[in-house]
Amino acid sequence: MSAILVVDDSKVMRDMVVACLRAIAGTTYTHASTGLEAIERLSLAHFDLMVLDLNMPDVGGIEVLEFVRRQDRLRALPVLIVTTRGDEESRERVLRAGATAFLAKPFTPEAIIAEVRRLLPEPAETRA
Amino acid sequence: MKLHVVFVVAGVEYALPITFVLQMESFTGATPVPGSPPYVLGVVTLRGRVIPVLDLRRRFGLPAVAPTLDTRIIVTQVGGRVVAFCVDRAREVILLEPERLQPAPELLSERTIGFVNGTYTVGQRLLLLLDLPRISESDHDHEPHALPAADDHRRPALPG
Amino acid sequence: MTTSTDLKEFLTAYLVEAEEHVALANQRLLALEAAQRSGGHDARALREIFRSLHTIKGLSAMVGVEPVVAIAHRLEAFVRGYDRLGTAPPLHSTDVLLKGVQAIAQRLTALGRGEAASPPPPELLAELDRLDSTQAALVEQSGPELDLEPELLAKLAPFEVEQAVRGIRSGERGVIAEFFPSPDRAAQGFSINSVRERLSACAEIVRVLPRSLPVSPESPAGLSFVLILLTQASDEQVASAVGVKAATLKPFSTLRAVASPDVPDSIGAPAIDDEENDPLAAGVRRGIVRVDVNRLDDAMEELATLIVTRYRLARAVAALTARGVNTRELSDVVADNARQLRSLRAAIVRVRMVSVSDLLDRVPLLVRGLQRTTNRRVRVELEGTEAELDKSVSERLFPVLVHLVRNAVDHAIETPDERVRRKKPEEGLLRIACRAHSNTRLELTVSDDGRGIDRQAVARKAGRPVPETEAALLELLCMPGLSTRDVATTTSGRGMGMEIVKRVVIDELGGELELATELGTGTTFTLRVPLTIAIVDAFAFECAGQRFVVPVSTVDEIVEVDRAEAVAVPANADGRPNLDIILRRGHAVPVVRLANVFRMTHEPGTGQKAIIVRRAGLPIAFAVDRMLGQQEVVIRPMNDALVRVPGVSGATDLGDGRPTLVLDLVALGTSLGAGGSARSALT
Repeated sequence: MSAILVVDDSKVMRDMVVACLRAIAGTTYTHASTGLEAIERLSLAHFDLMVLDLNMPDVGGIEVLEFVRRQDRLRALPVLIVTTRGDEESRERVLRAGATAFLAKPFTPEAIIAEVRRLLPEPAETRA
Repeated sequence: MKLHVVFVVAGVEYALPITFVLQMESFTGATPVPGSPPYVLGVVTLRGRVIPVLDLRRRFGLPAVAPTLDTRIIVTQVGGRVVAFCVDRAREVILLEPERLQPAPELLSERTIGFVNGTYTVGQRLLLLLDLPRISESDHDHEPHALPAADDHRRPALPG
Repeated sequence: MTTSTDLKEFLTAYLVEAEEHVALANQRLLALEAAQRSGGHDARALREIFRSLHTIKGLSAMVGVEPVVAIAHRLEAFVRGYDRLGTAPPLHSTDVLLKGVQAIAQRLTALGRGEAASPPPPELLAELDRLDSTQAALVEQSGPELDLEPELLAKLAPFEVEQAVRGIRSGERGVIAEFFPSPDRAAQGFSINSVRERLSACAEIVRVLPRSLPVSPESPAGLSFVLILLTQASDEQVASAVGVKAATLKPFSTLRAVASPDVPDSIGAPAIDDEENDPLAAGVRRGIVRVDVNRLDDAMEELATLIVTRYRLARAVAALTARGVNTRELSDVVADNARQLRSLRAAIVRVRMVSVSDLLDRVPLLVRGLQRTTNRRVRVELEGTEAELDKSVSERLFPVLVHLVRNAVDHAIETPDERVRRKKPEEGLLRIACRAHSNTRLELTVSDDGRGIDRQAVARKAGRPVPETEAALLELLCMPGLSTRDVATTTSGRGMGMEIVKRVVIDELGGELELATELGTGTTFTLRVPLTIAIVDAFAFECAGQRFVVPVSTVDEIVEVDRAEAVAVPANADGRPNLDIILRRGHAVPVVRLANVFRMTHEPGTGQKAIIVRRAGLPIAFAVDRMLGQQEVVIRPMNDALVRVPGVSGATDLGDGRPTLVLDLVALGTSLGAGGSARSALT
């Protein structure tokens, strides 16, 4: 089983991400609606991947990312950033801050599935 | 000087301070409520509120009569309570001086079971001032208006 | 190779969330404007506007609503500029922003109706173009400082520093608390979200900063949250909300007295550098789940089937008992189950409740728009309450509120010139107050200090005699056909929409409507509405020429009474009346004629249908003349002592304008059984 943390302040967006990823077998999902909650959950449990939105109340995605990368335990955690800002400059900035991958909204189910499959440490799937 | 509504029940004229009166209407019927006191004609809807209509004839222990074109409903409010009265006729609003109120003669007050506070004499006319809160009190020493127990065989409630 | 997920499925959820952000953006825009008018700047509001627009844009892109993406993108870009500058956008831009948000709202509404969203209006885009070209230049200013660790201070946005300074100056204490999350603490209910929620009751949260620490017994997760707070509560209160000892709290204050009351915005601390660093802890609405009302209705349906199952269970237990089986424990379980079902029902009803303030919050925007078109100046005062009401009531009430507010601003409140002539304050006052009238009713008053309603003029227009009381005047105003703009504007009366107001408040909601008005001084409308609509599914039937209704939920079944099958129990020696008995599922069911119970004059030979209800598990059948069908009815209470009788739970209007009694046959059965006869007749 691979544990995925989905961080977005929009419930609809979290639901959409999870709905897309349901197609990948062997995954479980945890939701976090704020950056602080995400940081707390990451510190308390193990996750194999974080899907992170940038625009959030309290602590934004970049700050979460920077925090994660400063922690030894989380340094290697794959982080997929999902953002509305799809330009090259933003991509570079996000990757510099420590993101593993970057996906611009709107994305198709196929696109996010492909990214997540690539990022999960081991093939989680045992599907037919 | 206070404005009063004058109405007629069984040939007798009564007065009611206009401050208690919300509105007056023609009588177009009320929905009977089984188990309510006999002098309650039923309920009507007034501005979203379901209110009881009292038949003053029956309240005074007089025989009921069929409504006519003159029959009126007087909707009153005392405190938060809204109650309507059905009367034979109501056409007049009159100014009365509270100082000229006289105590009700004993005989009269007996007939109206203490529902009258006093009388006014205006020229040849005698007006009885109604004790409004008293009249819309449910009358406990009167007939109980809750449903009788079904085994009360004097008035069979079950099919007989 | 993958199951394709169609994101269009999320359209409803998207609309709900997007509309919430629209409402939020509107509210914040008004707050921003209010701050500007008083010469200040509400940087936090600006930040929240930005965030809402940004969220709308992202969501709309996901579900493919391009016109909304385009509008939100333009608005967001404009706001972002000023947010970066740390300055307020020019006053006139608020209008354009509001128009933009309005354009988004219109498109969401269209989508909700199943229509397509139209392209962005060109005039809006043109106006935004003009605004963009006027963006102000960056002005550097220095701000006041707080005696916080530089590490913390550097992370605060200018408006957070400003918020802290302003708080301390107005007598609040600055307090820093540190929360160390751990699995144990989480199990005790202390997570960062719950801590913030508890704190919101006793403190203002300026900022929460995560701090990375070495793993130690004190910080098992290698993490702490530093909470920068303003409070008037005691250290103990704050500490208990965070779940720490009071001694661990640290105070902070301003570094030096700041002379000027106006705290200029400072640049230097991070603004939103694109999307990072969004320091907005206060605007978060924790623990809110958005649910489509239909889903709640579904849940209620499911519950209804559960209740039916429970009845079957109870019946089966009763059958066992009748066979001499000891069912005491089983009966206890059934009774528990009944109680639990009742509380489950209550819980679902509670979920449907929305705050009254949601309704009131929409008024300022409405008034703002009206002032513009009517050349009035109006101050809005809202007095809310914590009361909650059913979403369906709230939705019905909103158009009513719109009508009353529109009438007040359009027609009742005079133009500023006229008000000055009448020695009134130039600015009119519109006051909307809400209070709980009882546990079940809400009282809403809409008052203005305008010209009042001219009875004579209204009567003239209506071609009726002059009404003598305010109640009669209200009746006249609510008359269909009086709803001409003419009446309203030329006679200072009100007509527009009053018919609708009456229909919704009285007919649909079963509420009350009152009017108080004084010429030259003002008008107050008072609405009393139930917090939940007592709408029930009911059977209508006729008995002895009178119509009644009975809630479907109380009815076990409706049966045909076959005279040939009914067993007449003969009158016994003590003169007790005889009684019909029918057999249903092996049970002897006593049949009581409703007409006899109610002592109504009745034609013998009728009474072909019987409504079976259960009281204390035992069935009793009420024979009636004929069933008239099933419909939804609004139940109005019958509160007067004179008509509060057993078996009658209220009245409803079946469309003829007269009350029809709503019967509680279970209570009626019980009141019969109280004398012991129905029960003894059974055995």
